[in-house]
Amino acid sequence: MANESGAEQSKNPFRVVMFADFICPYCYIGQERMEQLARDYDVRPVWRPHWLHPETPPEGAPFHQNVDRERARATAQWLKEMAPEKAARMRFPDKMQCSFFAFQAVEFAQDRGDALPFTSAVYDALWVEGKDIARIATLQEAAQKAGLDAEEMGRALRERRYMERTMNAVAAARKAGVVSTPTYILGRIAIKGWHYYEVFQTVMQRQGMLPRQQSGSEKG
Amino acid sequence: MDGKSLLRQYIVDPTEVPWKAGQTEGITFQCQVYLSGADGGPEAIRFRFDPCPRVYAHMHLTSQFQLLIGGAMDFPKSTMKLRPLAIHYADHKLPYGPFSTGEGHDMLVLHPRQGGLVSMADRAARRQINLVGRQLVGMDRESEWFEVLGMAGMRCKFLIPPGSGPQAVILDAPPNCTIAVPAANFGRYEVVVNGGASFDGKSVAVPGLRYVVGDEQPTPIRSGEKGATLILLSFDADAVQGGIGDDELSRAAAEAIERAI
Repeated sequence: MANESGAEQSKNPFRVVMFADFICPYCYIGQERMEQLARDYDVRPVWRPHWLHPETPPEGAPFHQNVDRERARATAQWLKEMAPEKAARMRFPDKMQCSFFAFQAVEFAQDRGDALPFTSAVYDALWVEGKDIARIATLQEAAQKAGLDAEEMGRALRERRYMERTMNAVAAARKAGVVSTPTYILGRIAIKGWHYYEVFQTVMQRQGMLPRQQSGSEKG
Repeated sequence: MDGKSLLRQYIVDPTEVPWKAGQTEGITFQCQVYLSGADGGPEAIRFRFDPCPRVYAHMHLTSQFQLLIGGAMDFPKSTMKLRPLAIHYADHKLPYGPFSTGEGHDMLVLHPRQGGLVSMADRAARRQINLVGRQLVGMDRESEWFEVLGMAGMRCKFLIPPGSGPQAVILDAPPNCTIAVPAANFGRYEVVVNGGASFDGKSVAVPGLRYVVGDEQPTPIRSGEKGATLILLSFDADAVQGGIGDDELSRAAAEAIERAI
């Protein structure tokens, strides 16, 4: 709750939820906000899927040559302005990728604790390493980087253990009225779209959440 | 006192306003200060940016209409490639940009009060961003004309339709026609974009304007001998939010716009 003491915060961490899709470049740079919040505050980060292109088949779909190329150029320009370091490492995929397997893998990671490192690794696989995140092998590599059991994840995905749960998560995002990616819910306040970190800090502060270092020093 | 706010109006003929050169962060432009807002009233400035690939992300402390009357303005979003006539609306303290401007750029920046200028490079300013702010766009070429009932030969189109809060409506009036307009509780700019028109007996050239605000109905607009195309830009309740105050951000924002123009 809003004015919890540091000790209470530790017992019942403040939830920060990010609704996103791995194929969205704004979500890729927006992932940094979750990483920053997790580093600076006592929070429980939760990544939820908002499926932008459910029509994309598992093997992916070609981009519309001119329209999408122009859009990618404009997006890259914006990213360069807003997140220059990330933008410098980014490579835009040559086809529209299917996110659904990655969403299922997130559920697997969530069941094993903190899914944040795994989601970051999936973003890197797509946007930095140029890999296809619809391939189980790519997701297993990401799992390994995040310290998860890659073999077990592979089995879970092949057996479709998380399919129904993922479908429900996608439906839940729609039902919650999520229309833009990324959308963040910080306690009781929503932040739609990419924003500066200072915005997140202000929203946290407004709900009585202090950064770890500060709340520690205030406790004495 | 009945609580009504009296009508205030400002009329600007661009032929009476001098051009001057300005720059902000290396971005050069010519501008005409139609209305300075120094009296607590509206602030309206016409800008002609030199072609610029990157006008930095920024925000203003009041609501804002940008009316593009020449050239191009491209925002990163694919749905926001603005070509004249186009309108871009932003609530107070809502950042937008970066954007690029093309050859022949010409636009009116219209605030209900002084809006200042805040670069988003200012980290402290980012803490004051309006998280529920709206950004709306509309283009002439993407909207359909409608006949105006009861007004022979008059037609209109909505660039920002009613129901969005702020509104942008183009009115195309035949010659020598009297156009009644409603009260503008939160303020309305009435800009002549083609032909000619007069407000309260004063003729203005393109792109001249009138700003009206108050609970009383303003005098009708009169189209000229060649008819008139007008764009009516109405603010909503956001227009009374924000503004230049006594705080540090306000001072910096006011100084930034002063330095620029």
